Amino acid sequence: MKRKLLRSLLSWAVLSPLIVLVLFPFAVMISTALKPETEVMSYPPRWLPRHWSFASFPAMWEQAHFSTAIPSSLIICFGSVLLTLCVAIPAAYALARLQFRLKPFYRLFLLVTQMLAPVLLILGLFRMAAAVPFGDGSLVNTRLGVILIYGAFQIAFSVWMLSAYFAAIPRDIEEAAWIDGCGRIRAIWHMFLPLAVPAIAVCASVAFVYGWNEYVVALTMLRSQDKQTVTLQAVNLVAGRYSVEWNQVMAATLVATLPVAVVFAALQRFMVRGLTLGAVK
Amino acid sequence: MVSAGRASEQVRPPALLDAWPSFRLLARQNLALLLILPSLLLAVAIILYPFFVIVRLSLSNVSPFGQLRGFVGWANYAGVLADPVFYGSLVRTLIWTATVVGGTVLISVPVALVLQQDFYGRGIARTIVMLPWALSLAMAAILWEWSFNADYGMINGILQGLRLISGPIHWMARADTAFPVEIGVGILVSIPFTATIFQGGLSSMPTDIYEAARIDGASAWQQFRYLTLPLLKPFIEIAMVLNVIYVFNSFPIIWVMTQGGPDNATHILVTYAYQLAFSLGRPGPAAAVSVLMLAIVLTFTVVYMRLQREEA
Repeated sequence: MKRKLLRSLLSWAVLSPLIVLVLFPFAVMISTALKPETEVMSYPPRWLPRHWSFASFPAMWEQAHFSTAIPSSLIICFGSVLLTLCVAIPAAYALARLQFRLKPFYRLFLLVTQMLAPVLLILGLFRMAAAVPFGDGSLVNTRLGVILIYGAFQIAFSVWMLSAYFAAIPRDIEEAAWIDGCGRIRAIWHMFLPLAVPAIAVCASVAFVYGWNEYVVALTMLRSQDKQTVTLQAVNLVAGRYSVEWNQVMAATLVATLPVAVVFAALQRFMVRGLTLGAVK
Repeated sequence: MVSAGRASEQVRPPALLDAWPSFRLLARQNLALLLILPSLLLAVAIILYPFFVIVRLSLSNVSPFGQLRGFVGWANYAGVLADPVFYGSLVRTLIWTATVVGGTVLISVPVALVLQQDFYGRGIARTIVMLPWALSLAMAAILWEWSFNADYGMINGILQGLRLISGPIHWMARADTAFPVEIGVGILVSIPFTATIFQGGLSSMPTDIYEAARIDGASAWQQFRYLTLPLLKPFIEIAMVLNVIYVFNSFPIIWVMTQGGPDNATHILVTYAYQLAFSLGRPGPAAAVSVLMLAIVLTFTVVYMRLQREEA
């Protein structure tokens, strides 16, 4: 008992510099977001506001167009999660359960797609989107274009992770269903997928957070204000402005970050298992 | 593995063509193809096709508005290679990648080791260490930019409060302070992913060998040096490779904090290429930089895989 106490003190002591550095920007964020403008522009800065003010929240809501940015982010995230799962689950099933000649080639292909980051391809992505007719114009400045791009760049990670999980699900369960006269598809649907729900949930959350946080593709593709995402709008409050209203910026980052941080904190336990299974296989 | 596969073929899904072994094989191949086809199509359309577009752009004369005005061979590459900003960015990219990845791994190993111990509040500590992962890189950049703000930033406030500096430092206005700050932010945001991989590696390690080592009188350092580190090696390698690819291509931190400035002195290749393409209206040279970057990443990966195969 005493040893554990000692070990705890030591562990926290070793971790403390990192923990301070991690929490520092969040503390600055909350502190600044709750100050009135006059207090933000004073030196030296104080951690606690003299006068608590929530005025920066409605102000930034207006300035950063969050009333359109949040629905836009949600549409893009849910769209790309759905797309990612629809293409990754079948592929992961094939990798985990079936033998086929193209398998080594397909694995190599996934690795190559991981190396081609969206930033590197951004000019090509833009031209491709511009070349595809959609509605009155092209895929440029559409949420669908962004959804397709996010979905494609999530494939490799999702397929790796899901196939590692799928391979760990015993075959007998499906085979029992086949004997009972279940077709392959029905066996997958009724027996296999329910067991894979935790892995699919982690995969979906990672894809969701990726879409919520992504910057370059959104910056390049989404031109009109009503389609821009939360992350993009928050950066717009800073980028290329002469005078930055930092309390509004911090309020915007707070609102943009909080939901994701909560999801992540909840998922943290599953991430360790999922990632290492996926990364090492 | 093989025997398990055979065994499972005894029980097979009912299919129309069951009586025809060769057809069955064909059907299975086709089923697999059918299952990977959607992902293949999406990735080819969204990742491979733009890649070919970039290669084509890099060999063409492209107007600022994107019209192709003919094949120019290596002219874009020659132009880029003659640009001193390119070399500055290249050198800085190497420094950026080496320091961020090196720093991340060096910090993440002890962090993962500690997080693997059994201590009070471990759940909270893990969650805090993971927290930056949830943060968009662009958001992290904004938060630190404000913290390092010269006039009202908390960093200057704290340093002055401790009497370490006499007046405010203009961190972001000079490359020799801005770039190290950006590297620090890069390390901080890369730790969660890396430490997670290491934790997974540590938790998969057998505990009995440590017991044996302790009985044989191995010190804590010896246990770490001769047991933990060798066992952790594959995980360190994986983390290095993935981090090199991610960090080499990392755009938001530098773009949001300094946009490559002041005076192009914090550009790395990604920000340089983006600026060429979208701020300076020179898509051809921008595409050439992208292709050169791809060549660097590919070379790195191939060399790494070679080395690994030789080791095995």
